[in-house]
Amino acid sequence: MTAAAIPVSVLTGFLGSGKTTMLRHLVRQPDFARTAVIINEFGEIGLDHELIEASQDSFIELMTGCLCCKIRTDLAETLQDLLQRRDEGRCTAFDRIVIETSGLADPAPILQTLMTDATVATRLVLGGVVTTVDAVNGIATLEREGISRKQIAVADRIVVTKRDMVGSLHPALLRRLDELNAGAPVVIADHGRVASPSLFNAGLYEPQTKSTDVMSWLAEPADSHAHDRHDAEITAYAIVREEPIRAVSLSLFLEALAEHCGSDLLRLKAIVNIAESPDRPAVVHGVQHVFHAPAWLDRWPSGDRRSRLIFIARRIPQRWVEVLLAAIDAEVAAVTAAK
Amino acid sequence: MNNAQRDLARELLEQSLAAWRVTGSVERAGDGALVILGSKSIRIDAAPPDAMFRWMVAIDGRQRVAISLVAVLRQVREALDPGYAKNRVRVAVAPLVPYPSGSSP
Repeated sequence: MTAAAIPVSVLTGFLGSGKTTMLRHLVRQPDFARTAVIINEFGEIGLDHELIEASQDSFIELMTGCLCCKIRTDLAETLQDLLQRRDEGRCTAFDRIVIETSGLADPAPILQTLMTDATVATRLVLGGVVTTVDAVNGIATLEREGISRKQIAVADRIVVTKRDMVGSLHPALLRRLDELNAGAPVVIADHGRVASPSLFNAGLYEPQTKSTDVMSWLAEPADSHAHDRHDAEITAYAIVREEPIRAVSLSLFLEALAEHCGSDLLRLKAIVNIAESPDRPAVVHGVQHVFHAPAWLDRWPSGDRRSRLIFIARRIPQRWVEVLLAAIDAEVAAVTAAK
Repeated sequence: MNNAQRDLARELLEQSLAAWRVTGSVERAGDGALVILGSKSIRIDAAPPDAMFRWMVAIDGRQRVAISLVAVLRQVREALDPGYAKNRVRVAVAPLVPYPSGSSP
């Protein structure tokens, strides 16, 4: 992997939530130049790509079928083809890839493909997940469609669209978004326009500065120390530990989470004070049972050296996670002391 | 194994049953063993200090050893949760940051 790794972001959101409209505006912005956009449409005949006219330096690829289930291999192949054309100078030397999912797609398997497919993963870096929700139907959609709640839950940024159609935003929508994913900043789109050049730079890696921005990436759920945030199924909470965690404990903990939670662990982001590496914290990221190898920061991003683990999970009680970590670390400490 | 470690193990088992939505309760026997009363009878003893493993788990009278609490959890869940299909950790090919600082310390 070199510093030329390309950020790839996922744009998701339920049917009719305004993804394509927003993208249509974005691809004409100078900030968005040199972007390769992959549009996934459900069904044999795509239409959305016809609505988007890219600028000279950006271009559109189209995939049909459901990205999250039957054509994940196709996504990897499309990405590989893009990278090859870029390497051979057969297309614009794009600096960013955005994948617009179909409105019915589950983003988690897409993230897993980006993390694990050996043909492309070494060339890419996760730029984050942006989810659109519309101000008109958003509340009803979130109530009715489980997949829309999941799309919100895994987001690094949430864009509320169609505000112009309702005047002011309904407080109930903002409350619902806060319940599902309080850690994700909410951006308002005006007639599909978003004035946020950093919208798709929501990952740990900041390509402009070639640095890591762990504090904003971790974006802890507000009030998470006071109470966890309950949805009927999805909960976001933070676990904070004063004491360093042994490397073996972290490994066992992640193994147990993967084993017992599987697809219910929607996302885990963490900065961890590892006992064996007190000056270089580990940054951990996982989607369901797939985890990146920890990234080791050169230094702590602030004076706060506590471990902070942000969970977005479905039906995984916070207390169980806390006790699991505490019990594993206590056992590892006991075994270590006995040697 | 001290009382604090046993208490933590007991709470972990109680919380695990709740998390898995499995019916059952956890009690501590007079000799210190943890006993789970559910669809099966499970008894969990701490291993002798010189053993190569940490725990002994007896499920309906059949005893197996476990090298860690994580292994105990696995055995308990396999016994009590018929719908359980475990996942294994998969490590991503892509690093989290494409940068020299991504190397291990």
